[in-house]
Amino acid sequence: MFSKPILKQTLKANYKLWLIFTGILCVMSVMTISVFDPKMMSTMMEMLKDTPMAEMAGDKLDSMTTLLGMLSQNFYGMLAVILPMIFIIIAANSLIAAQVDRGSMAYLLSTPTKRGAVVRTQAAFLISSVFCMFLVVTVVGLSCVQLVHKGLWGEKFTPDAVAVSRILDLDEAEIGDNLSLILKNEEALQAGADARQIDPDVYLVYLNQKMTIKAYDAAAAALGKDAEEITKNPALLLQSPEALAAAAKVMGVPAEAYGAQLTAAIEQQGAMAAQSMELQNKMAAGISAAAEVLDVEASDLVNSMGKIKASKEALTAAATASGLPEENILGMINSQLAADELAYDDGIVFSVRDYLMLNLGAFLLMFAISGISFMFSCIFNLSKNSLALGAGLPIAFFVFQIMAQISDSLEGFKYLSLITLFDAGAVVSGGSFGVQFAVLGAVGVVLYAIGMNAFCKKDLPL
Amino acid sequence: MSVLQVENLTKDYGSGRGVFDVTFNVERGEVFGFLGPNGAGKTTTIRHIMGFSKPQEGVTYVEGMNSWLEPAKIQRDLGYLPGEIALPEALTGTQFIKMMADLRGLQNMTHTGELIAKFELEPAGGLKRMSLGMKRKLAIVTAFMHDPQVLVLDEPTSGLDPLMQDMFIEFIKEEKARGKTILLSSHIFSEVDATCDRIAIIKEGRLISTFVADDLRHSSSKTFKLEFNSKDEFERFRSEIEETQKLEVVSVKRHRNQAKVQVEDADVNGLFAIISGYDLKFFSEIKFTLEDYFMKFYDRTGSEGGANYAAN
Repeated sequence: MFSKPILKQTLKANYKLWLIFTGILCVMSVMTISVFDPKMMSTMMEMLKDTPMAEMAGDKLDSMTTLLGMLSQNFYGMLAVILPMIFIIIAANSLIAAQVDRGSMAYLLSTPTKRGAVVRTQAAFLISSVFCMFLVVTVVGLSCVQLVHKGLWGEKFTPDAVAVSRILDLDEAEIGDNLSLILKNEEALQAGADARQIDPDVYLVYLNQKMTIKAYDAAAAALGKDAEEITKNPALLLQSPEALAAAAKVMGVPAEAYGAQLTAAIEQQGAMAAQSMELQNKMAAGISAAAEVLDVEASDLVNSMGKIKASKEALTAAATASGLPEENILGMINSQLAADELAYDDGIVFSVRDYLMLNLGAFLLMFAISGISFMFSCIFNLSKNSLALGAGLPIAFFVFQIMAQISDSLEGFKYLSLITLFDAGAVVSGGSFGVQFAVLGAVGVVLYAIGMNAFCKKDLPL
Repeated sequence: MSVLQVENLTKDYGSGRGVFDVTFNVERGEVFGFLGPNGAGKTTTIRHIMGFSKPQEGVTYVEGMNSWLEPAKIQRDLGYLPGEIALPEALTGTQFIKMMADLRGLQNMTHTGELIAKFELEPAGGLKRMSLGMKRKLAIVTAFMHDPQVLVLDEPTSGLDPLMQDMFIEFIKEEKARGKTILLSSHIFSEVDATCDRIAIIKEGRLISTFVADDLRHSSSKTFKLEFNSKDEFERFRSEIEETQKLEVVSVKRHRNQAKVQVEDADVNGLFAIISGYDLKFFSEIKFTLEDYFMKFYDRTGSEGGANYAAN
């Protein structure tokens, strides 16, 4: 079936190449994971939103705010494709075509070793070297996430949950389920805010927003609906006593009280929406005035309204210019800062399953790509021909992929690229990818089979 | 049954290259020389015997086994020395020998050790930095390491220094004495002449002559060179020969007053009878070699006769 002596020789000839590429891939993975900072990323994405770059990147910017989202766009959309691809191109050619071209294959075949055993051994080496490459990258990546971002195994707790748990003498998971407990304890509130390094009033807004999200989630589960639907139309909640009860439980208040609270909030929201245009204009005037006082660009200030809060003068100027009361402006600033905190919470969510799926997908893509290179290495007797197609086709796929991403008018190119079947974005954002993965696997199997068969039947110029 | 059988082997690579209807057998214990210049089809034929290529027509057998259908089986008792030495570069010589032994399932390395000592091989270094001669020796050792009964050697001495070449020829003779069957492809006449029992000449993909080497060595026809002391004598000799047709003149060199004549052993007295009447400067036999025989086939391609006169 396989030939051990040939495997030994192949390992000796290729382990350095494998180590180099696996090493680079690991370093890049560690760097990408380590530099990730959800707060910074969301600020950066906010800044990029209106630039031409954002237009180019399309909807990818949103997903960049989570670690997996960024990994999927950055690492698995680029480096984890091109680096293993180069390794595969070099290795696949050297495994068969180069040895036929040079003539050293003659020695292997002048022993009682069947051609089938030679080609099976080489194919097994190529497949397992790519598999091991992603295995190492996966293990290194997970270790890095654990070291740098903590709490990978089991539930992840935010710093405030840890701080509060000490004061309330509850464990972090219970706190997460009963955030309302923090609201009821002055000391816990202060400690939580300190842990997050924000003002207690911002923390309060943050907690309320967080609880609302969780309440809507609970209600959605009770209704059997999507959480998004509830968020768009909270009135749905009022129609179902169970949903209301579930939501109220999260908020830590009786159902009737929550119902009343919600009704009031919905009314208020309606009123706000009606005059939102006017409100925005007023706010814009206020921010411009504050920017002048603080001597910064108004556009910068929009993304860091915390600065207005820090300066009494700026706040007064903003209030005067906008004609809104200071409390209103403070409220808006607080809710923006709270939203940042929420983004941070989202950013540190890390699904091990999604991460494993990303790596599995990248491996399957590389399995298919290696099938291409290996097949041509088996078919051609000359290295130059084997490389022309075995390297040319994968590189063409990569170029098509990039072209399809750059411009909408070139999007059609994605249908010409095998790489399209590995949609890293879909893997992390809950899209469908099972069929694509299966196709990649099948393509690989077929190509390897064709290559091995061709090698066993062809004339060798040895 | 012949050890190696090549029957009507045809492989057309296009534009006249390849082998066409090649047939020969190598018997047990025989050293068979396969002679031809580069590109005549020697390596192509060997490629088919080894089972690397599929014949378009015809078939090759090794010990009765079809080369193309059972290539792994025929290798068990066959040693192959490729014409081009392209060793796997990542290994050292020692590792390469070990790999070949493993691939052959060879346990006992004493014979290999003897060969290494015999050919003064130093296998420790990396194959990439080895000299051509050292690589050639390494290939020889791995071809003979399992003491195979059949040997297919494709230009075995190219890249060896003259001393090693002589030693290799001695080695082939020893192996022959031990009853090995050897196919030796070469374009070096001396080694074919020194070792082979039978010789086949291949030209442009076709076998043009197969003969027993001893017949050539002990040919009944001999060639002599005569030089006359004067132009007159030379011209007189030429006109006499033209009239009587008693001798076969192969070539003449007019400005040197030289003539080459070919005589059957039985007619050698007639030759002396004729030349005794002339004033000769010298008289010598020209040994007929394999090279001459070979050249005879190759020279006649372009200009018949004309080339003969130009020679020498």
